[in-house]
Amino acid sequence: MPELLETVDVAKYFGGVRALDGVSIKVKEGSVIGLIGPNGSGKTTLFNVITGFYVPERGEVWFNNEQIDGLNPNEVYLKGLVRTFQIPRLFPSLTVLENVIITPPYQIGERVLDAPFKKRWEKQEIDLAKKAVELLRRFGMGKYIKSKISELSAAHIKMLETIRGLLASPKILLLDEPAAGVAYTTAKELFEYILRLRSEQGLTFLIIEHRLEVLMDYVDYVYVLHNGRLLSEGKPEEVVQDPKVIEAYLGG
Amino acid sequence: MEAYPIGSLNPGRGDEDMVEFNVLGFLIDWSTFFAIYAILAISLNLEIGYTGMANFGKVAFYAIGAYLSAVLTIVTFLTIFGVSAPLYSVDAVIALGKHGAELPWLNIGLFILSIILSAIVTGVVGYLVTYPTLRVGPAFLGITILSFGEMLRFFLRNYEPLGSTYGLFGVPHPFQWVPDPTVRTGIYALIVLGIMFGVYLYAERLVNSPFGRVLRAIKDDEVAALCLGKHVPRIKATVLFIGSAIAGVAGALYLFYLGSVNPDMFIPRVTFDIWAMVILGGMGNNKGAIAGAAIITFVDRALTFITPSLGLTAYITPDYIRWMTVGLLIVLVLLFKPGGLIPEKPIKTPALEVANKIEEG
Repeated sequence: MPELLETVDVAKYFGGVRALDGVSIKVKEGSVIGLIGPNGSGKTTLFNVITGFYVPERGEVWFNNEQIDGLNPNEVYLKGLVRTFQIPRLFPSLTVLENVIITPPYQIGERVLDAPFKKRWEKQEIDLAKKAVELLRRFGMGKYIKSKISELSAAHIKMLETIRGLLASPKILLLDEPAAGVAYTTAKELFEYILRLRSEQGLTFLIIEHRLEVLMDYVDYVYVLHNGRLLSEGKPEEVVQDPKVIEAYLGG
Repeated sequence: MEAYPIGSLNPGRGDEDMVEFNVLGFLIDWSTFFAIYAILAISLNLEIGYTGMANFGKVAFYAIGAYLSAVLTIVTFLTIFGVSAPLYSVDAVIALGKHGAELPWLNIGLFILSIILSAIVTGVVGYLVTYPTLRVGPAFLGITILSFGEMLRFFLRNYEPLGSTYGLFGVPHPFQWVPDPTVRTGIYALIVLGIMFGVYLYAERLVNSPFGRVLRAIKDDEVAALCLGKHVPRIKATVLFIGSAIAGVAGALYLFYLGSVNPDMFIPRVTFDIWAMVILGGMGNNKGAIAGAAIITFVDRALTFITPSLGLTAYITPDYIRWMTVGLLIVLVLLFKPGGLIPEKPIKTPALEVANKIEEG
């Protein structure tokens, strides 16, 4: 299978801090890849470089045979690369449904000249709303459709970020700690659903996760970051045996 | 009675023009001012209430609309009637007075053309002035437009072809050919109210759509909106185009009501009057903006009509009382109804109806 996403020797410095120092990862189409590492190891920075948030000091990011480093976040998104945030960034003045329905790109009603004419976008809007409601129900959030974000629990907010990414029908989803603060069984359900999406729709996932006990059962391959460098990589069962990884996690 | 616009919302004129109290005159005067300011409040609300862009220079676009309409009308009149005099000269004003009522269709045509041109030109200027600042951050936008407005005012004060500090006079009323001034201003008030209603409908339809949803998302979290594929700088510039164009229309309407312009009508305070209306009425709600405009223009117009009969000394002008009243109103609203008189409501799109249907069963 071809590589869907690839970073080549990516580096990002913040002053003297080498947040990323030559990281190369490969994500095959249809795979579920884990990205782990202790706090401050550069996982989120790598996400930020991939999604156009930061311009890397060095190195390249390739997606679908296109070089995407240097593009703006919105352009990266439109290529089919959708991310979530570690600290959820939802829109508090919108309802849950609106937070989900806003994600699909190129909506007719979002064009300023079409927006005042409801007839032009009504059908698309209703279709999207139905899809969004279906998704929300599947994750047990059906009764919160009309709620404000401030009325949700932390776990639901976390879930909503992931659900929101799914409606955009991306090629790859970059999830930043999707299971943080989510109950163990719900987290399991979430990952089960990720596997199902992979097999049904061929979606690819790159997942940062701290809860290794949840992550390790579901990923095909794991990259371990430490101090901005790749410490180890391999199948999950190999990586957890790697003495370097054990030392980085426990020995600090 | 010629309903002269007097007083503080019109800082260019002194209170010596005060006329005796006249209920019909007051109503016509107030409703015209109300409609013009409601248009401005709706346009500011689109920017600050829905998109979260602090525009501290609304008055600049209002001024451009007014000046543009004045120049267009005066130049056309002088050209048609073969008068070669500077726009601001006494000869020009005399010629305008003499020929102002001769060709009704010319007056009306120029009125319509002025509105359209003002909208386009101010929209483009708004887009150009603000586009470079959008990438830097919200505070820069406010300061840039504020200083743009002041620079424009000082330029106008010192630019002789546009009459420098005296401004331009004698612009014929679109209904100059109607002999009775009360009927004339009455018709004009109705037209301005109609345009206000049109602007309101447009703004309502614009924000109750997926586009409006994106605007609110940008207000909440620009970065998240960007990461969801929305071209935030372009959307913001578009909103400023629309907001400025609407303010330009208000400027044109203001000019044809007064018949004259001068630079000091467009001091920054006018911008903050509009802000007060939006805060009072409710940010992110067009009905609120209109309510705010109604209250503040009412206070303003009523005070300018009533104060002289109160027998106050020269040190207490309607302006002072007005400042205190508006300040008090804002404090009271923020204390008891922080969202404004009519607070923000969820967006009305079919998505909400789908959600409602599902909730029902």
